[in-house]
Amino acid sequence: MRIATVLTMALVSLPLAAAAQQEPMAKAFDLERRGDYAGAAEAYRKVLQVKPADAAALLGLERVLLPTNRSREILPLAQAASASNPSGDVFYGVLLRAWAAADQPDSMRAVALRWARAMPDNEAPYREWGAAALLRRDRPGALEAYASGRERLRRPDALAAEMAQLAVADADFPTAVREWVQAIRLLPGYRATALATLGQAPQPLRPEVLRQLAQERGLAARRLEAELRVRWGDPAGGFEVLREALPEERVESVQALRDFLDLLQPLRSGAALAAQGRTLEAMASRMSGAEGARLRLRAAQVYGEAGDREAARRMLAGLMDDRNSPSGLSAGAGATLITILIGEGKLAEAQQRLAEFQPKLGGGVVVQLRRRLVAGWLQAGELARADSALAADSTVEGLALRGRIRLYQGDLAGASEAFRAAGPFAGNLREATERAILLGLLQSIEADTLPALGRSLWKLHQGDSAGAAARLERVAEELPAPKGGAELRLLAGRIWSALGKSGDAERLLRAAAGPDAPGTAPAAELALADLMIRQGRHDSAVAQLEHLILTYPHSVLVPQARRALDQARGAVPRT
Amino acid sequence: MKRRDFLTRGGASLLVLHPALSRLQPVSAEPWLLVPMDDTQADHLKAYGLTFRVLQRGGRAEWFLNYRSGAFLVPGDAINRRDAALAGVSIEPLDDDRLAQIRGEIQDGNMDAVPLEKAPKVAVYVPPNAPPWDDAVTMALNYAGVSFEKVWDAEVLGATLKNYDWLHLHHEDFTGQYSKFFLNYAGAPWLVDMVEQNRAMAQRMGFPSVPEEKRAVAVAIADYVRRGGFVFAMCTATETLDLALASEGADIAAAYADGTPMDPNASARMRWDRTLAFQDAQLELSPTVPVYSDIDGHQVNSAERRQPLGSFTLFNFSAKIDPVATMLVQNHRQVIPDFYGLTTSFTRKTLKPSITVLAEEPAAPWVKYIHGEHGQGTWTFFGGHDPEDPQHQIGDVPTDLSLHPHSPGYRLILNNVLFPAAKKKELKT
Repeated sequence: MRIATVLTMALVSLPLAAAAQQEPMAKAFDLERRGDYAGAAEAYRKVLQVKPADAAALLGLERVLLPTNRSREILPLAQAASASNPSGDVFYGVLLRAWAAADQPDSMRAVALRWARAMPDNEAPYREWGAAALLRRDRPGALEAYASGRERLRRPDALAAEMAQLAVADADFPTAVREWVQAIRLLPGYRATALATLGQAPQPLRPEVLRQLAQERGLAARRLEAELRVRWGDPAGGFEVLREALPEERVESVQALRDFLDLLQPLRSGAALAAQGRTLEAMASRMSGAEGARLRLRAAQVYGEAGDREAARRMLAGLMDDRNSPSGLSAGAGATLITILIGEGKLAEAQQRLAEFQPKLGGGVVVQLRRRLVAGWLQAGELARADSALAADSTVEGLALRGRIRLYQGDLAGASEAFRAAGPFAGNLREATERAILLGLLQSIEADTLPALGRSLWKLHQGDSAGAAARLERVAEELPAPKGGAELRLLAGRIWSALGKSGDAERLLRAAAGPDAPGTAPAAELALADLMIRQGRHDSAVAQLEHLILTYPHSVLVPQARRALDQARGAVPRT
Repeated sequence: MKRRDFLTRGGASLLVLHPALSRLQPVSAEPWLLVPMDDTQADHLKAYGLTFRVLQRGGRAEWFLNYRSGAFLVPGDAINRRDAALAGVSIEPLDDDRLAQIRGEIQDGNMDAVPLEKAPKVAVYVPPNAPPWDDAVTMALNYAGVSFEKVWDAEVLGATLKNYDWLHLHHEDFTGQYSKFFLNYAGAPWLVDMVEQNRAMAQRMGFPSVPEEKRAVAVAIADYVRRGGFVFAMCTATETLDLALASEGADIAAAYADGTPMDPNASARMRWDRTLAFQDAQLELSPTVPVYSDIDGHQVNSAERRQPLGSFTLFNFSAKIDPVATMLVQNHRQVIPDFYGLTTSFTRKTLKPSITVLAEEPAAPWVKYIHGEHGQGTWTFFGGHDPEDPQHQIGDVPTDLSLHPHSPGYRLILNNVLFPAAKKKELKT
């Protein structure tokens, strides 16, 4: 009976003891989680009193002492833990940091060397020693730690990443380059960090960094060089460096190209798009089947965006008529080709291709392509064909295009109606603003049709600004100032101003600023002041703007006029 | 000037202000203009310029502390109305009855009416080739329409500061280390210009190095304050001014600046009895880390020590008992988003006990905006570079204040500009 009781007691007491130990740890974690660092420190200490070598408690204590600036208090506990378990790696690290907090570099060195003797082939003691030195902002101490590790491990590439980061912090980029290349050769995952840190090199040092990288052998160095060139604004140069270094082995070369592409993708400059196209083309040449076709299509699209239509066509060749291509791919190729044809002004061919591919293309794609085609016809002045191509498109985008067609035909009432129906949501912000301006212009004119105005505005659409301004001025002469004459003079004046014809601009803007058209005068005065500021006639501009603000205090343009006044006076930067 | 004296003199002037204003006022049913500074104001920053120009034209004004977030009262003549209309400053015409009612409200609450008598003569310490958009105070003065003159080392060492009532320090590095950008931005054209300009000036003024020359400039500025001047400093000018003042006998400059490395024991050799605001700071020893000391709480240019931005809160003071501090914190916002600078904030542990904290980040170990007296003058330090450009990277587009007419951070700067107008006596004795 007594034996059974003792046995039962023993069995019960074992989990109880474990639970008793568990409970203070749970309490300590909880206090730490709640931000009660002083309470957590006490709880961790209690655990360590029972179990001096409890790694979790020691690390917890280290964590909570740090924010309360009491890190050095851990020292006796870390020493006790290390003494009770001399082979425990974790205690060496804590001990090192504790000596760092206590500002004892000699003790740090002693602990690191003791740790190194226990683990003779491991970089960790030197890495932790260096990190602890950096905690004390002691860069020479960190350098000593890493150099010592390199010497003792007899490996010239040991701790290369640490050396590199130290060199970057000291703005020693030549050393950083050398070390990073070594680090990446050992562990390619370091490439992103190397790129991020070397990328910070000041502008004047960059040629030297690239020159030094060029001297390093191997794909790792070439990839780093190529990616740095992209980061520093030379994507074409970067691609060339990478292309020349690509190995025969397909998987490795495709991976290098894919990483390079990832870097290029956020960039939208023409050079970056061209480099993206070339990267995709290089990837496509290494892939077969559907994946290769998809890459060729993407390359064609990117080349198209970059304006390199010849390269885009080269990529598309064969894709559309390839019976083995997935149908989605050949339709995509067709859409890309039609976009390119519209860009080249081959509208009839584009329209024909659109009719051919329409059954294969999705409804949304067809509508998009049709609108591009309409815009192309509009640009070419083929208003009837534009109208016909637009067909029965009753979306807001279609209505906005229809408003343009009516406007250029001189049907002012039809244009106003279509613009109003399109509302502010068709196209981008610039297009919406343009429509609002045109609507404002049309509202001031009483006539329902005015073909001469339509032709003038079409000239403007085409880019013949001087021709448009001259025609607008002639149309304005036929209209009373408050019934559109002043508005057209204002528009013509703005066009001359943008073209640098200051004399004509000022003459027209002054005419538009007359008191007989008070709805137009503030805008004309503002445009006049802007012209004067650009000519350096700041005093005249100030007088003009003051007149505007004091004469039309309730005009919506007054805040803008005040801003222009600030600019004329040099009170804010010109933007 | 002590606050007690200020109150005595301020109260006396209030009594005589009415006749003075009456002489200027036109015959009108609404002879006064109230410039509200609460959320009804269309352009808070230009309201300061409007008031400044009233004073500049020889007129008088009053500052209604804590009334509608620090409103101004100016005569309702045609010139002032026109000026307000052009500047876009909201005004409210007042008749005598309404003004008397307002004065009654001010009398009954934690408010006060402070007469503003004379437009202070303002100088900005700035290198000759600095762009006008490089410094928050220059931008604020330009935008508000407050006239100022530029001075630099030759003028400061040539003792011309006595001609000015108010001096702002551009974000200068008074330790002479070129903002500690020398190594990280080596070869950058703006840095090359800065170095050449400073070296030439040091040589011209007969100093062996830039740090030596800048220390002499710092001493001259402290002397200007001691004699009754007002100094307002932002960003790194705050910290480095005091470091330069404390560094006599200690080499705190890196080798690239004066040819000799920094004294590793410089922190222990500093003479904190010579400084305006700070004491017992630890200096940053690395020449490559653009940080000077632990005075700055945010350490923006140290990757390991950089602290995130929070917001700072302005203190409330008693307007009738403590008008100086009250003037400096007039605002329509009490909590303001923080912004970085080479020196963003001031750690509490390095503040001298005698200074007045005007704004702090609650529960953080740093404060943002401080004020103190030195001899017969006063100084105000405001951490950070540009209240409307919180990150402020080199090469950022300049801040356009017409896009920030209600900036509460910029209001604090302009409070400092008008503050000397409230003084009753010539400062430079």
